[in-house]
Amino acid sequence: MSDAPAAESVGRATRTVARLTARLPGPLRRVLAYAAVAGPGIIAANAGNDAGGIATYASAGSQYGYRTLFFMVLVTVALVLVQVMAVRLGTFTGKGLAALIREQFSLRLTGLALVCVLLANTGLVVSEFAGIGAAFELVGVSRYAVIPVAAVAIWALVLFGSYRYAERIFLVLSLGFFAYPVAAVLAHPDWGKVGADLVAPHFVASSDFLLLGVALIGTTVSPYMQLYAAAGVVDRGAAAADYRSVRADAATGAIFADVISVMIIIATAAAIGGTGALTSAKQAAEALRPVAGSGAELLFAVGLLGASALAGAVVPLSSSYAISEAVGVERSVSRRFREAPLFLGLFTLQLLLGAAVAMTPVNLIRLLIGTQVLQGLVTPVVLVFILVMSNRRSLLGDAANGRAFRAAATLSVAAISAMSLFLLGQTVLGALGL
Amino acid sequence: MAKPSIPSLPTRRHHSGRPATPTPGQVLRQGLISVAGLVGARVTNQAGQEVGRLVDVVARVRGGADTYPPISGIVLRVGGRRTYLDAGGIARVEVSHVALSTARVDLREFRRRPGEVLLARDLLDHQLVDVDGVQVIRAADLYLAAVAGTVRLVGVDVSLQTLLRRLGPRRLRTRPTPDRVIDWAAVEPFGDDLVDTPAAVRLRSPQSALRRLRPGELADLLEDLGRAERQALLASLDPETAADALEEMEADELEVLLREADPEQAAALVEAMEPDEAVDALRELAPDERDELLDHMSDRAARQLTDLLEHPADEAAGFMTSTLARVHPDDEVAVIVARLRDRVEQRNEIDAVVVVDGLGHLLADIPLFDVLVADPSTTFEELMVAERHHDPVTVAEDAGVEEVASRLIESRRSSVLVVDPDRRPVGRILADDVLDALSPGQGRLHFPRLLQ
Repeated sequence: MSDAPAAESVGRATRTVARLTARLPGPLRRVLAYAAVAGPGIIAANAGNDAGGIATYASAGSQYGYRTLFFMVLVTVALVLVQVMAVRLGTFTGKGLAALIREQFSLRLTGLALVCVLLANTGLVVSEFAGIGAAFELVGVSRYAVIPVAAVAIWALVLFGSYRYAERIFLVLSLGFFAYPVAAVLAHPDWGKVGADLVAPHFVASSDFLLLGVALIGTTVSPYMQLYAAAGVVDRGAAAADYRSVRADAATGAIFADVISVMIIIATAAAIGGTGALTSAKQAAEALRPVAGSGAELLFAVGLLGASALAGAVVPLSSSYAISEAVGVERSVSRRFREAPLFLGLFTLQLLLGAAVAMTPVNLIRLLIGTQVLQGLVTPVVLVFILVMSNRRSLLGDAANGRAFRAAATLSVAAISAMSLFLLGQTVLGALGL
Repeated sequence: MAKPSIPSLPTRRHHSGRPATPTPGQVLRQGLISVAGLVGARVTNQAGQEVGRLVDVVARVRGGADTYPPISGIVLRVGGRRTYLDAGGIARVEVSHVALSTARVDLREFRRRPGEVLLARDLLDHQLVDVDGVQVIRAADLYLAAVAGTVRLVGVDVSLQTLLRRLGPRRLRTRPTPDRVIDWAAVEPFGDDLVDTPAAVRLRSPQSALRRLRPGELADLLEDLGRAERQALLASLDPETAADALEEMEADELEVLLREADPEQAAALVEAMEPDEAVDALRELAPDERDELLDHMSDRAARQLTDLLEHPADEAAGFMTSTLARVHPDDEVAVIVARLRDRVEQRNEIDAVVVVDGLGHLLADIPLFDVLVADPSTTFEELMVAERHHDPVTVAEDAGVEEVASRLIESRRSSVLVVDPDRRPVGRILADDVLDALSPGQGRLHFPRLLQ
């Protein structure tokens, strides 16, 4: 996931930024105010860049240099198509994706979709805690001390209603990753090669590349983002008349997000490209050295902490909300948060699991990328639901997918599914020793 | 309204927080037929041969005279085709089997008549309103029961247990698990097709339980429903009731509702709201959306609201209502009372009459109680003198909430008048408006809004 709030309107993002920047010192405020006018989408997209995303993009840069760029272009096309379908469903039905799935499919299929969402999101929660752990390890604090504290803090902040304030702090911290596009330019990458790799189709025929490809899909087109995008337009009350601007928002948000992702790959490739798979956050921070010099590690840690803590609360909330919505008890959530046992139970369970897995003694970067692979494996299932629903004229009427869109979207979902299935098959066969 | 006697349902109201009735016996459980379990059931002819499989059950849930609607037919799959069979051709409906009383089935397409729905497609897994519990529910199962010889829709199951049962093997799916069942009499359905139903049959009956709800309860339901359901509920209310409910809604929910309604309807609703609440609602909208609504209103209402919009929301003139009952000193009480009778819809805003002179300057503010107990033949001049109403409680147009509150507290009145610099009354602020302004929001947590 890399652009969660991309679904938010330009107006809302601008308002958020205005509120956030009101308390900052003058020069910084002017810079951010300019950024707010120039590209609220960039801010929204960047604020969503979380631990799993950073690790995966950075690993792509360090392991394959610029050779994943063409693949990222394809993923961006798929992301735009999927996001547009998600917001179209939200706009024309006024319902969240989970509620729609419950109404449109049998209960068993609804169960399947929800299990996938829960699986993917719990993986994401693991990655957010791993991100928090990695951020603190950069400044010399043990993750075994930090992660339990962070889990309890996020749980309590959300439960006792003061999350809104903490969230603003996390959002400002995560702006540290703004440094990536600047770093990419300052690192003087070979722009000719970057350009060639962006447009020339090329893939590396290896199982490592396949694994990374699935992780890139998982982190870019995650189920969580589609739920979030649809919920965003429903909550805004966007109706058929607003669809054009909603669609433009969704598409530009998705593209902005992926531009940032590509910048992360370029910055990392220019700094440590060709040194093999990423193994530590320290390595990843190298990419920010052109901007921050010796402060690169600190900048990286701050950005990582902000982004991870931000997503660490929102991701488990979104899956709990989706499941409550499908079961039909979402409204008790909106009224009496603490009296919603299903919602609260799921939220707590995800935080517990996430923190527990992030505390197992494994390499954090490997864990981060692993969770994105899991997302990549589960994403196709959710995408198929979105595709089938937006093909349905009985649901969307004239707003259903047209012939060309349908073909493109089907091709994208089929390609993503094929990659996931291929990886799954390879892993299973490998495990069986074949 | 015909009310056939039915076996009392094992209703356990979950909002009461504790089981109200003991677990029902096996007898009752067997009397219930699960619609979720019935889908896919065998349909046999007189001779007991299978003619097809059940696809859906049709019942007329709106506009009929029955509290518990009888099923009006079934949709079944014969070979590869779907066909409709009227209830007249059905002999028995059992838990996982439908027996027909005819030997052959004509292939006929299902055509929906007004008020009819397909139970499995339109109601099962969809949002419904439980009017007794004042909550929005999602149907986990629907139960049919044979009552006085006809099979009727009697209840909606909302338990998590039932969802799990439906996930399980087919054998379990047909067995009713009436754990948390809501009596159909208290349910307001909103099937997609019902949204297009003519207004006349939208409400189940003139006695619909919806009419018992208070504005605040209706507001909760409006906030909780999905878009199509919300618009259906709104359309089934008369404009005045709807406007009262809208006034109780959270500002951001109201904003969404007005944005998604068609401009004409939204304008009519806003026009029916109290001016101060209407202005609050309009302030939430973007300027072009606001202008569009104002364009659809009557000139008078549009002008009144435009005037109010000119004042900042935190000043007296920004949150007052401009509805005033103005009288002249020589008006007779009886005449004014008769005139007030025509302004019933403004009863929430008028708690006193304002006495003004020929130039519109304020003379007195006389509470309705004093008007009520006065001799009908007295004039307001006499009333002013007799009751010593020479010193009306007023604030300036730019007074803040705090100042208004302290004026209310020291005068012990239920409202204060807002006057312009020439002491002409321009509006009134009621104590409840001050309460609204001072009390913090209820703090409803909306997941997508966490990120705002």
